[in-house]
Amino acid sequence: MKSLKNLSRPQILGIVLTLFAGLIVFQMISIQSNAHAKNLNQWAQNYGYQVSTIQSERGYIYDRWGNLLAGNKEVYELGVELQYVANPATIATTLASIVGSDYATILAEASQPYVEGKSVYVTLADFVDSSKIAQIDKLKNDYNKSNLYGENSKLPSLLGLVWTAHLQRIYPENDLASNVIGFYSYLDRDKGRGYYGVEEKYNDLLAGTKEQVLIPLDPYDLQTIPTAPAGASLILTIDREIQRSTESILDKAVKSTGAVNGTIVVMNPRNGEILAMASTPRMNLNEYWNSSKIYTTGIPFNKAISQVYEPGSVFKILTMAAALDTNTVTPDTGFTDTGVITVGGWNIYNWDRGAWGPQTMVTCLQHSLNVCLSWVATQVGSTKFYEYLDRFGIGHRTNIDLAGEEVYPLSEPGDPMWYEVNLATNSFGQGVAVTPVQMLMAASAIANDGKMVAPHVLKAYIQDGKQYNTNTQIVGMPITATTAHTLTNMLYTSLQQESSDALVEGYSVAGKTGTAEIAVNGEYSSNLTNASFIGWGPTDNPQFMVYIWLEKPASSIWGSVVAAPVFSEEVKQLVVLMNIPPDSVRASLQGK
Amino acid sequence: MTETRNTSRRPTPFWKKINLPQAFKQAPWRSQIQLVGLFLLGLVVVLLVAGIYLTISGQAAEAGLDTYNLAYERRSLERSIADYKAQLAQISSSAVMEERAKSMGFSEANPDNVIYVSVPGYTGRQTAILAPPPGITQTQGAVVKTEYRDSLWDWLFQGINRLSSSVRGNS
Repeated sequence: MKSLKNLSRPQILGIVLTLFAGLIVFQMISIQSNAHAKNLNQWAQNYGYQVSTIQSERGYIYDRWGNLLAGNKEVYELGVELQYVANPATIATTLASIVGSDYATILAEASQPYVEGKSVYVTLADFVDSSKIAQIDKLKNDYNKSNLYGENSKLPSLLGLVWTAHLQRIYPENDLASNVIGFYSYLDRDKGRGYYGVEEKYNDLLAGTKEQVLIPLDPYDLQTIPTAPAGASLILTIDREIQRSTESILDKAVKSTGAVNGTIVVMNPRNGEILAMASTPRMNLNEYWNSSKIYTTGIPFNKAISQVYEPGSVFKILTMAAALDTNTVTPDTGFTDTGVITVGGWNIYNWDRGAWGPQTMVTCLQHSLNVCLSWVATQVGSTKFYEYLDRFGIGHRTNIDLAGEEVYPLSEPGDPMWYEVNLATNSFGQGVAVTPVQMLMAASAIANDGKMVAPHVLKAYIQDGKQYNTNTQIVGMPITATTAHTLTNMLYTSLQQESSDALVEGYSVAGKTGTAEIAVNGEYSSNLTNASFIGWGPTDNPQFMVYIWLEKPASSIWGSVVAAPVFSEEVKQLVVLMNIPPDSVRASLQGK
Repeated sequence: MTETRNTSRRPTPFWKKINLPQAFKQAPWRSQIQLVGLFLLGLVVVLLVAGIYLTISGQAAEAGLDTYNLAYERRSLERSIADYKAQLAQISSSAVMEERAKSMGFSEANPDNVIYVSVPGYTGRQTAILAPPPGITQTQGAVVKTEYRDSLWDWLFQGINRLSSSVRGNS
């Protein structure tokens, strides 16, 4: 074997390099396998991923023309990273002056000692506007220039104050269509959800997904950052301008009549699209926390769907529809009104307790005679009469796509609470309770050639970049087209002959008033009424159907006095907003 | 001295003249140089591979961080877009628009002062279409060109395929 002396310089160099390479390999293996390396591996496994909550942006809500009714705005959460806080007093002063926070609370929060793994970050304020954040950012930068890293504790410093952006639900129209939209409890960032209206009904669709995911901190794995697609957006059937106009008319009507509350619903009887749904009271959806103060016990969020009431004489159109459809009567059928009729041992009187003498079915509707309609119901017979009410959906939910729909069960022959007199009282809308939207659905059959349409507020929804339109749902054909046309003509004639306040010059409308006494402690009070009106037009091609309900009006108890003019006012606005020319103009345009 | 030239025979190549065993015997450092040369060649190859690996790894890490930053930026932009939409909706809300219209001297129309004109072919105002219907599929162009996604092997095989198909096509 050669001694080192005998080795040539290249051999020595080779040995040195080999040893050096061997050392490197040894060190590499050592680094990979020593105790510290195991700890490091464990740490990497524990901290190699960041647990993050990904949440879809809540979907938007638009009106039928694409106007935004509910969206999201950028706001900020303000907090302190305790490890870096240099001057808690500056943070407290800044937040008190800019955000309006309580100085003492902020000072106490920001002065907390930093404890690794336990006390690291404290939230100081949330839902702070971007304009305020801009002010704070400017201040922070200014302080940093004079006191970098907050080394001088006597100088002001906002070091440690951080902010994180997130989204907050916003309703740009404030209280417009609030009864339809509902609200999202955005203050609860973990468990916020939609309440009432479409916000509740379509909560799952709007919310999208929310899940906790592991985001890798290893840059090699970063291409797998999970994302959450935005929640579906809704396009409603509501027309913003019609809604605004309707709410304005309703507010004026409630004020001028001294009514406790009111409701107006506008629907397209051809397809069931709700164009406007206004109800009092309404609320600014951006301040949803006031809802419990506004909607106290007994006041539903949306009376149009959630409050059943005895509709009174507007219900007579269903009685007459059943009678015409069963060929029990024709428009010219005569009836001599003696002012009283006895059914099931109970006397039924007219609204004025008068006897109106010889009448036809048209004048019975025109004068809204309870005695006549009770007689009509008895002629139809209880079996057929209730069969028709069932066909019209009375006693059933309309299944409108709004949260909180209520229904009052209809007592029918055989039920313990049904008595023979119910046939008479039900015929003129007493002893039976409906919601305005139920009445609209039932009456849509009369305006729509006998076909009853499902009322709905969702026109389309947008999911994964595709727009899915909803279709018209015909939920039944309770009467024939002939009956529907006949009854529409009868109601048109009765309004004309009555010179009703519901009439609109130049436009043919059909409709019926309703005045229902309200039961107080089991006794009907003639001073407290529900005044209603249901009408539609133009009669040859109905494009709108309007339901008016004024609750306990003070100026007059009669629907013909307080509700009919509101219908007229509403239609005058509708024909402009819906571009419906007067009948004569329409005829001449069609002639061309 | 007579010089003869044999023009019929070809000259012997120089490497045939070298007696290699003898050459290595006379200069033993030649074999050492050969060994060192081979070692260095191996080292260069290893370093080359390691260098390429490090470069690719560095680029991959950078791309990963870019992805992270872009994802962050995307979320930020999505929030900004949502915020702008909300701001736009607020400044064009019905109440604001009505106020603006009134301040500009407009008044509410009523049935008496509306003039209707027949416009041939006009079917009326169409309701909102904010996205394509489900039947339409959008074809998206590749975001990253194939040149940046293919490996060396992909490129090689595709080249061979193209070449062979063109040859088959010509024949």
